[in-house]
Amino acid sequence: MSITLDQVTKRYEGSTVVNDVSLEVGEGEFFVLLGPSGSGKSTLLRAIAGLTGVDHGRIALHNQDVTHLSARERGVGLVFQNYALFRHMTVADNIEFALRVRRMRRAERIARRKELLRLVALEGMDDRLPTQLSGGQQQRVAVARALAHKPQVLLLDEPFGALDAKIREELRRTIRQVQRELKITTVLVTHDQEEAFALADRIGVMNLGRLLETGRPDELYARPATRFVATFLGAANLLLARQTPQGIHFGAMPVNARLAERLDGGRSHEVVAVLRPEEIELAPTRDTLKTNYIAQGVVEETIFTGALERMRVRLDHGSTGAQLAATDGNAGASIIEVTRTQHEHRTFPVSLGQAVAIGVRRIHVLPTPLSSYTAWAPDAAAAARLAEHPFLAELAARMKTRIACRPEPALDNPIDSDVQLDNISGVAVIEAHPEAIDRIEWLLHNGAGEVMVLPPLAGAPHRVLIHWADDSARRSTLAVAASLLRHVTAEAVYLGILPQNVSDTQRPMGVRSLLDARSEAQAVHGLDMRTELRFGVAAEELRRQLEDAPEQMLILGISDLDALHEGYGPLFAGATRHAMMVVYRPAGEAAGQQLIGEERLAMSES
Amino acid sequence: MAGGPSKALLAELATRPGRDTLASTATKGAFIAVSLLFLAALLFAPLVMVFATALSKGVLPYLQSFQDADTVAAIRLTLVTAAIVVPLNTVFGIAAAWAIAKFEFRGKSVLITLIDLPIAVSPVIAGLIYVLLFGIQGWFGLWLQEHNFSIIFALPGIVIATLFVTLPYVARELIPLMQQLGNDEEEAAITLGAGGLMTFFRVTLPKIRWGLVYGVILCNARAMGEFGAVSVVSGHIRGLTTTMPLHVEILYNEYNFVGAFAVASLLTLLAVLTLVIKTLVEWRTGYRKR
Repeated sequence: MSITLDQVTKRYEGSTVVNDVSLEVGEGEFFVLLGPSGSGKSTLLRAIAGLTGVDHGRIALHNQDVTHLSARERGVGLVFQNYALFRHMTVADNIEFALRVRRMRRAERIARRKELLRLVALEGMDDRLPTQLSGGQQQRVAVARALAHKPQVLLLDEPFGALDAKIREELRRTIRQVQRELKITTVLVTHDQEEAFALADRIGVMNLGRLLETGRPDELYARPATRFVATFLGAANLLLARQTPQGIHFGAMPVNARLAERLDGGRSHEVVAVLRPEEIELAPTRDTLKTNYIAQGVVEETIFTGALERMRVRLDHGSTGAQLAATDGNAGASIIEVTRTQHEHRTFPVSLGQAVAIGVRRIHVLPTPLSSYTAWAPDAAAAARLAEHPFLAELAARMKTRIACRPEPALDNPIDSDVQLDNISGVAVIEAHPEAIDRIEWLLHNGAGEVMVLPPLAGAPHRVLIHWADDSARRSTLAVAASLLRHVTAEAVYLGILPQNVSDTQRPMGVRSLLDARSEAQAVHGLDMRTELRFGVAAEELRRQLEDAPEQMLILGISDLDALHEGYGPLFAGATRHAMMVVYRPAGEAAGQQLIGEERLAMSES
Repeated sequence: MAGGPSKALLAELATRPGRDTLASTATKGAFIAVSLLFLAALLFAPLVMVFATALSKGVLPYLQSFQDADTVAAIRLTLVTAAIVVPLNTVFGIAAAWAIAKFEFRGKSVLITLIDLPIAVSPVIAGLIYVLLFGIQGWFGLWLQEHNFSIIFALPGIVIATLFVTLPYVARELIPLMQQLGNDEEEAAITLGAGGLMTFFRVTLPKIRWGLVYGVILCNARAMGEFGAVSVVSGHIRGLTTTMPLHVEILYNEYNFVGAFAVASLLTLLAVLTLVIKTLVEWRTGYRKR
């Protein structure tokens, strides 16, 4: 491996800028770090170069640990967004700087400089000063300068940021060419997805300091695993759907029955479906669609953009009940984006306000177990109040999902209630309550997979404690934790708790299970977490940990409802400052859990 | 790029709103006239007066006044003081500017304010502070006397007072410049393998050299011309602790107008020279125009 990052963490003034990033970049690979501004990508690049220290973790270049080497000794080539050429030196002096530092002989220096100038197509510019060059030319000089000492790694920090679109494209081609010719391992940082697609062998998407996903550009685009990547890489419509043995349902519409075998333990559950705008087909009526029908809609807006026509179509809830994962402010407004080619436009021209049938060529279901949130309360006012909880609202906004309200009088007396609930979807959220445990149990019993207890004072956590009562809940708990942690800037800590009286011979087993948990979280869910081993009664130990600091959250995995009631009742009754989430999968479903995190489905046009 | 007006021209056009009407032309003329009038009355007239008085009895008496032993001593003392003060304040200025422009630390704003303090404090007060500290009745006065070392009414006092007064000039010049130029070139140099000293001398110093030259010139001009603070600590011992400005006053009070104005003309020449170099520096860098 050319570059290896192992759990690199950088904190700055109290906030975590880079959060537990692990990454391997292969020899000669062109890797693009993509993310919005403030996602920590530039900081990570500077950490690789050695210009920024890290608080935790390890950095290796060519299998040599350089974590504690200075930038000078690492000797990587670095290109800055604003060129950072030495303004008082000529092009020749700029390029030869690294060679002079290394006391290379004059003749060799000149030869190397000529070679580099040819490489970046700037022959004959040797005696110019940087101010006499255009922006694009200056950046070419910067690239040549960074390559002069034959670094083994080239790092580029938004190198096209300050350039016009035309020059950008030209320079992009040059850099790709140079990279191919020299076969140098390259990491480029950008916020521009088009740039990432054009250059990368592999892309890593960062947000909130975390590296969310890495993969080939086409793979990431076609099969993102997270909402953020789905919406950041190109446009995406996120729709809530139900996955049942009959296939994917948007409201009442089953879309494809062939997907039945991929079900999560046979349980009907809510999923988030990604519909790319270009995969959506419009037709005058349902019967004229060539693809799977999902809903009726009304055309709200069309924009001509040259090659493509971009449209916004309002979904008609009445016909099918298909709904968007995210509601954009005004209630019931659910707009999906559609792009059509000139050819499609000619075959079926539409006008504003026209009713159309919407079909979809390809659906990708996100493997996230957290689809949406539902605020449960005994009456409507309490449910509405709960839905406005700042932490819940922030979480839903970051996950681009909706919060539904569900008043349910039976919650007041769940033990004696014989109300049977159906269609529990997403995470059920309830208020803190002395009898919270009964409500949790009742909701889980009725089919909820996750219940979150949210006290009024709970804020965004800095630390998320993860624990599962028994090993069969491990996988689902990790999946939920990974999904949640992508959307909060918190560190994840797995607490392994052994009974107080455990014998010395069993202790190594405890440590081993911690390590297993950690490597599984990393390998299957891309979640880097710390692990801690404690001794005592699980519920008490968790309470003690939570009392340590106010800004924490607990994710508890269980597979046995009786154990929940007996062991954790007081823990949930005492929830006053911390959000607590219970993840429940009956032990029998454990086999089906295999598919979470891996299930990826694609539908071809049929 | 070929064709079209230059970027600088277009930028200038954008900063001049309004149209060329008769009224605007008249306003422009009035403003220029007022400025010139002030300059003439307050600057050029005294300047001319200095040389006119110095040469009023002819060139020979003018030149002879420089042969006076006390005058030579005053000139020498001024030069020695400047030679000590200017390098020290240059080092301080670069260090302070570097710290402020490149690092974030607690009390940074306090440091910036403190650097400006000598400009806010009256120089006479500054001088008095040192008299109170190091004078015979001062805090360290007795100790200094026991060790047979005099600061007040001697060269060290003059140097310290001048150091205080001229402290801000280099730093104030460099701080905005270094903040504007950023840290990227230094970081680039480091990734290319340059060490700390090499980065400083090959990258940082050339980058800030014109700002530094300007700061040093201002610092020097002030160091040679300082009157108030030095006057308090020097004790006016002729031929020993009088600097040029003090000597001018002494000669003037003795009705030796030619001598006084001859020395004054030297200081004036220094001022003119400073202005010329300043203009050159600004023309050379152009960073102020941006």
